Amino acid sequence: MATIEFQHVTRIYPDAATPAVDDVSFTVPEGVLCMLVGTSGSGKTTLLRMVNRLIDPTAGQILIDGVPTTTQDPIALRRGIGYVIQQVGLFPHMTVEENVRVVPSILGKSAREMRGRVDELLTLVGLDPDQYRARYPRQLSGGQQQRVGLARALAADPDILLMDEPFGALDAITRERLQDELLRIQRELRKTVLFVSHDVAEAFRLGDQVVVMHDGKLVQVGTPVDLISHPADDFVRQLVGADSTLRQLEYLPVTAALEPQDGVGAFPLSGETLPADSTLLTALLLLLKTNADKALVIDHGETSGQVSLNGIYRAVRTPSESATAGTATGKQG
Amino acid sequence: MKFLLDPTNWDTSIPNSIPNLFLAHLSLTLISVAVGLLIAFPIALLVARFRPLYAPVTTFASVLYTIPSIAAMVLLIPLTGLEATTVIIPLVAYTQIVLIRNIVAAIRAVDPALVEVGRAMGMSAAQIQTKVVLPLALPVIIAGLRVVVVTTIGIASISFVVGVPSLGTLVFQGQTFAYNDEIVAGAILITALAVGADLLLLGVQRLLGRGQATTLASAG
Repeated sequence: MATIEFQHVTRIYPDAATPAVDDVSFTVPEGVLCMLVGTSGSGKTTLLRMVNRLIDPTAGQILIDGVPTTTQDPIALRRGIGYVIQQVGLFPHMTVEENVRVVPSILGKSAREMRGRVDELLTLVGLDPDQYRARYPRQLSGGQQQRVGLARALAADPDILLMDEPFGALDAITRERLQDELLRIQRELRKTVLFVSHDVAEAFRLGDQVVVMHDGKLVQVGTPVDLISHPADDFVRQLVGADSTLRQLEYLPVTAALEPQDGVGAFPLSGETLPADSTLLTALLLLLKTNADKALVIDHGETSGQVSLNGIYRAVRTPSESATAGTATGKQG
Repeated sequence: MKFLLDPTNWDTSIPNSIPNLFLAHLSLTLISVAVGLLIAFPIALLVARFRPLYAPVTTFASVLYTIPSIAAMVLLIPLTGLEATTVIIPLVAYTQIVLIRNIVAAIRAVDPALVEVGRAMGMSAAQIQTKVVLPLALPVIIAGLRVVVVTTIGIASISFVVGVPSLGTLVFQGQTFAYNDEIVAGAILITALAVGADLLLLGVQRLLGRGQATTLASAG
């Protein structure tokens, strides 16, 4: 397991007027899936590539488990960090199996030693080993190639995974399916993941932590709920769609609209119930579906209050004040 | 056809029989191409890395290529005598321009993104070359080798002028004795050798290019 700490990281390309990455500091805790979002040219990919020293910082440093990366041999460092990129990532002259065991094989593991591991990894990413092991990348669909890319990045069991818009070139349905797979795999493996995306919906769907970058600078770090309820500035507000009612409903917790329960004491209100980590959208849909005015919010088996159509209405009108009470992560399920 | 079908022409105990001339031709070709590769390969690797070398190196190799083959061989006689070496030296020289240009192009055609992925996976510089660049460049390099082999088989035919036997011997002898059948036999055999070698290398190229759609398409 590994923590990644960025300390005043700056990267200035030769002949560039402004830094590609400008004094960025934040920490990705162990086992967290951190999404780097921003417009193109915001420096997010440069930041990612500095972690495995494909690029070195001009100033500042990156610590992995407290050790500055610049003190480590770049080749050894990279072998311990999984890397997935968009599209062309697989080696076309190697079969799926050979691609998956690239890193173990440069670490000196034989094909025989790796056979079981390759099968295990292919199964993990949802590909039948018997069917796909011997295929060449061009015989696979884009989604399947990206699954193999993920299996390859996980082959040497790295603590850190770097992903640079891995699903960017896929169609919407395949992308969503792979996002689900990534979440499932991440629940199982708990890697520290740094994931570059220009798609805010993807960032919110996947991220435990979201880092917003703009013009090389870090603008805001937080959970999806933080960003929606407390956007640091207009850029973030616009990027995350904090003003969009649907976005708010999707990510704000039901507790943002919590009201004291009607009918107290020995005669509690009966009716529909909701777990406290639901989103406002779930609550709204429940109320619409059951044609009820209100539903009870249940927290750890206890009724903590109620949510009403009026309450939801007020919550999405004034997200910044009401969401402070929120505890939900903003992700469903 | 009479010449080709005459069993005495296939008698291996006769020095200038068809099988012996065929082997002589083949060995002139193989030695020339092998030596040519040994010289061109390191030069091409160097040129691919240090681009400013490309113009002077290819210019020099082009100049070599323009020397008429008969002139080159005859001029070498005082130095190397009436030996196979006299034929092989010009043949090697002629391979250089095609081999160097082709190997450099093949290496440069490798997608830089794949080299970058190799780096990101933690490959050393040598591993990037042996595991990524060369395997990807090889089908293209073989495609260039096919051209070189066919050309070399053709030029090797004139070895007779410096007294070195090859299938060209049949053509020259036939001409001397005004025996058209022998000239045609020589031409057929040289063509058969060239076509056979080309198809063999095409097979190798396709085998190495598995997985690379573009190479398969261009190989056709």
